[in-house]
Amino acid sequence: MQLLILTIVLLALTAFGFSSGRRRALSVVEGNPRLLHSLPNHHGYLVALWCGIPALLIVIGWLAFEPSLLHALVISALPPELAEMSDERLSLVYNEVRNVALNGQTASSDAVAEASRHYLSLRQTLFGATAVAALVLAVAGLAWARARIHRDLRARNRVEQIVTIFLVMASTVAIFTTIGIVLSLLFESLRFFHFVPVTEFLFGTAWSPQMAIRSDQVGSSGAFGAVPLFAGTMLIAGIALLVAVPLGLLSAIYMSEYALPRFRSVVKPLLEILAGIPTVVYGFFAALTVAPFIRDLGTSLGLTVASESALAAGLVMGIMIIPFVSSLSDDVISAVPQSLREGAYGLGATKSETIKQVVIPAALPGIVGGVLLAASRAIGETMIVVMAAGLAANLTANPLEAVTTVTTQIVTLLVGDQEFDSPKTLAAFALGLALFTITLALNAVALHIVNKYREKYD
Amino acid sequence: MLRKTMAVAALAVASIAIVGTAHARDQIRVVGSSTVYPFTTAVAEQFGKTGKFKTPVVESTGTGGGFKLFCAGVGPDHPDVSDASRAIKASEIETCAKNGVSDIVEVKIGYDGIVLAAAKRASHIDVTRKQLFLALAKEVPVDGKLVENPYVTWNQIDPKLPANKIEVLGPPPTSGTRDAFIELVLEHAAESFPELKELKKTDEKAFKKAYSSIREDGAYIEAGENDNLIVQKLDANPNAFGIFGYSFLEQNEDKLQGSKVDGVAPTFDDIAGGKYPVSRPLYIYVKKAHVGQIPGIKEFLVEYSSEKSWGKTGYLADKGLIPLADGERKEWATKATSLETLKK
Amino acid sequence: MTETTQMARLGAVRPTAEIVAARLKRRHNAERRFRAVGLGAVLLALGFLGVLLFTIVGNGITAFVQTYVRVDVTFDATLLGIEGDTNPDVLASANYPAVIKQSLYRAFPEVKSRGEQRQLGAMVSSGADIDLRKMLVADPSLLGQTRSLWLLADDDIDMAVKGHIPRKPGVSGNRLSDNELHWLSELESRGAIKTRFNTLLWTSGDSREPELAGLWGAVVGSIYSLVITLLVSFPLGVATSVYLEEFAPKNRWTDLIEVNINNLAAVPSVVFGLLGLAVFLNIFGMPRSAPLVGGLVLALICLPTIIIAARAAMKAVPPSIREAAAGLGASKLQVVTDHVLPLSMPGILTGTILGMAHALGETAPLLMIGMVAFIVDIPATPLDPSAVLPVQVYLWADSPERAFVERTSAAIMVLLMFLALMNLSAILLRKKFERRW
Repeated sequence: MQLLILTIVLLALTAFGFSSGRRRALSVVEGNPRLLHSLPNHHGYLVALWCGIPALLIVIGWLAFEPSLLHALVISALPPELAEMSDERLSLVYNEVRNVALNGQTASSDAVAEASRHYLSLRQTLFGATAVAALVLAVAGLAWARARIHRDLRARNRVEQIVTIFLVMASTVAIFTTIGIVLSLLFESLRFFHFVPVTEFLFGTAWSPQMAIRSDQVGSSGAFGAVPLFAGTMLIAGIALLVAVPLGLLSAIYMSEYALPRFRSVVKPLLEILAGIPTVVYGFFAALTVAPFIRDLGTSLGLTVASESALAAGLVMGIMIIPFVSSLSDDVISAVPQSLREGAYGLGATKSETIKQVVIPAALPGIVGGVLLAASRAIGETMIVVMAAGLAANLTANPLEAVTTVTTQIVTLLVGDQEFDSPKTLAAFALGLALFTITLALNAVALHIVNKYREKYD
Repeated sequence: MLRKTMAVAALAVASIAIVGTAHARDQIRVVGSSTVYPFTTAVAEQFGKTGKFKTPVVESTGTGGGFKLFCAGVGPDHPDVSDASRAIKASEIETCAKNGVSDIVEVKIGYDGIVLAAAKRASHIDVTRKQLFLALAKEVPVDGKLVENPYVTWNQIDPKLPANKIEVLGPPPTSGTRDAFIELVLEHAAESFPELKELKKTDEKAFKKAYSSIREDGAYIEAGENDNLIVQKLDANPNAFGIFGYSFLEQNEDKLQGSKVDGVAPTFDDIAGGKYPVSRPLYIYVKKAHVGQIPGIKEFLVEYSSEKSWGKTGYLADKGLIPLADGERKEWATKATSLETLKK
Repeated sequence: MTETTQMARLGAVRPTAEIVAARLKRRHNAERRFRAVGLGAVLLALGFLGVLLFTIVGNGITAFVQTYVRVDVTFDATLLGIEGDTNPDVLASANYPAVIKQSLYRAFPEVKSRGEQRQLGAMVSSGADIDLRKMLVADPSLLGQTRSLWLLADDDIDMAVKGHIPRKPGVSGNRLSDNELHWLSELESRGAIKTRFNTLLWTSGDSREPELAGLWGAVVGSIYSLVITLLVSFPLGVATSVYLEEFAPKNRWTDLIEVNINNLAAVPSVVFGLLGLAVFLNIFGMPRSAPLVGGLVLALICLPTIIIAARAAMKAVPPSIREAAAGLGASKLQVVTDHVLPLSMPGILTGTILGMAHALGETAPLLMIGMVAFIVDIPATPLDPSAVLPVQVYLWADSPERAFVERTSAAIMVLLMFLALMNLSAILLRKKFERRW
C-alpha cells in the first residue's frame, strides 16, 4: 500500500516535471516556441525522464534487495539462542517472523514476537529511507534538468536517445530467451550425459526411467534409450499428418478454387476455430470420446486395440493441425499466378485438371513447407499425447498399440519430482534438447523451402 | 502522447503493486503418496473451510518421492507433511537426520488393502500370493534353481488359472504401493519356496534381490497410480490386471472388480477385519520443527485425527479409508495431538 | 499414340465426335468427383469440429445446475457434540455431518444395518455441513430446532438425477446400489429432490468432491497470469517491433534478432516450460505454482506472436505517411509515435488479443512449473499458488469420480467462452478499424 502511494507520488512528480519543463522552456523564449531547438513537449519529457527514471531505479533496487537485506538484519539481531541454529532452521524462524509480522499469526515465543516487531520497524525504516532517497532524487533530477533548459538544448535528441536505448534493450529479450532455452537445456543435458552416455540415449532401444530411489530398494534397471520415444512420436505425428494433409489440402483447394465467396467467408473462420481450441480440450476429447470409440470399433472388428492407442491420439492431433495445413496451402495456392491457370484453361483443361496438373505442381514446394511446419507442430504437441497416449515405451509401428512420445515423457518425468540430481529428472532436459533441435531443424528446412518458392513467382 | 504516457504509468504502478506484495509462506504444504492423497485433500478441504487457516496445498508425488522432498531439509522451502502408504524406512530417517530433519511425528491414519483388480466383465480369478510371485518376479525357482521367469500365461503357473497372457499394470518405484506389494506379497510368497528360504539363510542380500526384482519383459507394466487411464485400460483389456489401493477400487466399483487373494475378496469389512492378506497401514509424517512456525500444522493434525474425519462414520471412511480399530484410533490421536516424535 | 488413334479410327466405326463426347463426359465426371471430394474434406473437418463441440456441450451443459435434497434437519446439541455451549468457536467445529446423517436415517426409518446407513448417509454431499455451520453460527437459537433444508446432493446422486448414469435397478456394474436408487425414487416421489442453478461452480475453488468443485480459483489464476503476460509481453513486443521495423539498421545483429524471433515462434511450448523451471524456479527461486511465474513463461511464449503481428501491422502503414511526416520535419521517433503507432494500433491490438487467447489455452509449460497441485483457496495475489483454467481442465480430466467428466466439460465450455470472447473482440476491432490504403 505504502509502495503504491510512493509510486503514485513519484508519477505525479514526473507529470509535474513534464509540465514544469514545458512551461520553463516556453518561458525562456518568452512564449515563442519557434526559437527553441526542440518542441516544448520534448523539454517536458526530458525533465520528466530525469525526474522519474533515477527515482524508479531506486524503488526497483529496493524491491530487489529488500528481502535479503531485511533477512540479514533481522537474523543478526536475533537473540543468541535462536541465532545459533542451522541456516535452515533460521529460515524457518524467519518465515515465522514474517508470518507473525504480516499475516497476524501468533508468535510461538517472545523472541519471535520481538523479532517480528524488529522486522516491522526495520522494514518501515528501510522503506522510509528508500522513499526519501527516491523523492530527493526525483526532485533533484527535476530541478537539475529544469535548470538546464535553454533555447539551444537538444532536448528532442536526448529524449530519442533514451527511448532508442529502451527499444534496443527490448529487442534483445528474444535473444536472451533463446540463449536461456539453449543454456538451460544444454547445461542440464550435459549433467544427464554424465550419468548416461550420449550414444545410449540416442541409439538405445529400451526406455524405463523409473529407477530405484533408495539404496535399499530394487527398481527397474533404469534404461534411457530414447529410440522408442522418437519412434512413438513419429508414429503419432505420422498418423496426424495422414489425417491432416489430405483433409487440409483438399479443403484448401476447394476453398480457394471452388467455393463461393460467401461459403468461404463463413467456413474459413469456422475451420480456423479448430486451431484456436486449446490442446487440453483435444486431449480430453481424445481420451473421453475418440479412444473408446476406436477401441470399441476395433473390438467389433475383432482387433485388439489398446485404450490409449496411437491411432486415437494421432487422429485427434490430425484434426488439430488441419487448419495449419489448409491455411498455409491456401496461401500458396492463391499465390500461384492466375496466368498459369488461364494458360491451362486455354488448352482446354477442366478445372480439376488445371488444379492437379498445373496449380498443385506449381504450389508444391510451398505445400511441402507447410506440411513440414505442421509436422514440427505435431512433434512438439504435448497435451493431447499426455492425456491420450500411453506411458509404456513400446517400439512398434502398429497404430493400434499404445506408444509414448518425447513430450509425454518430459511431462511425466518432471511433474511432482523436482530433484535435480537424478538422471530421471535430468533426462527430461535431454529430451527437451532433442525436441528443440528437431523442431528447429524442421522449421528451418520448411522456411527455406517456402522462401525459395516465393522468390520464384514474385 | 500524454494519454499513452499515462497508460504506461498506470501499467508501471500496477506491476510494482503486484511485485511489491509481501510474501511469506503461511499455508501448509503436503507431498507424498497418491494413495493417501484423496484422504489428505479431503481433510485439507475441511480444514480450510473452518476459515482460520489457509487450505493446505497437497501434491501427489508418490511415497518415495514425497520422503525425498520431505527429508530434503527444514525451512519454508520444504514441505511440512508427507503422506505415506508405508512406514518410513530406516534409510529415509537417516537421510532426514542428515539434512537436519530430526523430529518427525508419525500418525497412522488407517488401513488400505492392495488389490489386484480387473474389469468387471473379465472372469473372476482367485490367486494365491505364491502364484502372484511366480507371475511377477524377475527370477523364479524352477527345479531348485533360480531362472529367468518363463511364465507367459497364467495357466502355465496353475492349470486352474485362465489361459490368458500375464499382463499386470503396477506402480513404479516412487510408489509406496509397490514397496508394500513387494513386502506383503512377494517377500511373503518367496519364503514359501524352499530354494529361496535356503537362500535367505545363506545370503540375506541375494534373497532380498530375488524377491524384490520384478520382471521387466513386458508382463509387468509400470503405470501411474490412481490414474484414470488404468481404469480405461483394464476396461478395454479384460485379460489385464491392475495393482492399486482399495480406495481406488471403491471409486471405480462400477467398472472394476477385485480378485480374491488367498481366497479372500477385498471388501471393506474383510480388510478392516484383517482377513484380507494384503492390507497395509497408511501414515502421515509431520516435521515437528515446522509446528508453530508454519501456521496451522497442529490444528491440521487435530482435524485429521478427529472422529468426524477418520472415525468409523467419518468422511474419510466415505472416501474409502479403512478406519483403525477404536483403541488404536484413540492412541494415535493422542500421539498426533501431543506431537509425539518418532524414536528409532 | 497417333498410331493407335489412327488404328482405332480405321478399325472402329465410332465417329470421333462420339469418342470425344465420351471422354468429355468422363472428364466432367472426374471434375465433379474432385469437387465433391474437396467439399467432402471441408465438411468432414467441420464435422469433427461439430462432434467435438457437441460432445463437450452434451457432457457439460448439465453442470450448470446442481441437485439438492430436502432434509428435515434437527440441530441436536448432543449429536453436534457441543452440549448447549453456543460460543462461536465451539459452534464452528461441531460435528455437523453427524446431524445430517441422523436426519437422513430419520427420513428412512427402515434402514438399520450399518452398511446401508453408510450408503444412505453418503447421499448428501460431505460439503453440505458448511451451510449448516453458517446457519447455526449466524443464529445459535436454532439449536434444538428442526428446519427443512435443501442440502447439496452427493455427486453420484446428482449424476443419476441428470441421467448421466443409468437408473435401472438390478444392473450389475451400476455406480449406485439398488438401495440408493430406491431411496432416490422415494425422495423424488416425496418432492424432496430438485435442481437449481449451480452457484458453487462459479464461486468456489477446486475440491475433491465434484459437487463442491468450482472454477473461480482457476478463473482468478488465469486472470492474474494473463495480466502479467500482457504487462510483460505487450510493451516488450511493441518496442521490439518498433525497433526492428523503424530503427534497426540492416546488419548481422538485427538479422540475428529476426531469425531468433521466427525460431521462438516455432519452439514447442513445453520447452518454454523447461526454461521456466530451470531459470525462474531454480535460478531465481520464484515461488512454485504461482501465476507470476506462469505469466512470465506465457509472456515469453506469446512474445513472438505479438512481434510478428505488430510488425505486419506497421508494415501495412504506407511509406507515404512516414515520408509526409518526415517532410514536415518530424523526427523518426515522432513519425513512429504520432503516426505509425496510432495507425497500426488496431492491428497490434488484434495480434495481442490473439496472442493472449493462445496464452489462455496453454497448458503444457504450466505443468512444468508446478501449477498442477491441488489448490482450494482463491489466490489473493499473483504470488499465491493457483491453478489456471486449462490446468484445471487437465486436473479434473484425470480425477476418477464420474461427475468430474461433467465438470471438466463445463470447465472447457467456460474456457472456450472466454476464448470466443477474446477472438470476437479481435475480429470486431479489426472490422472497425481496418483500413485499406
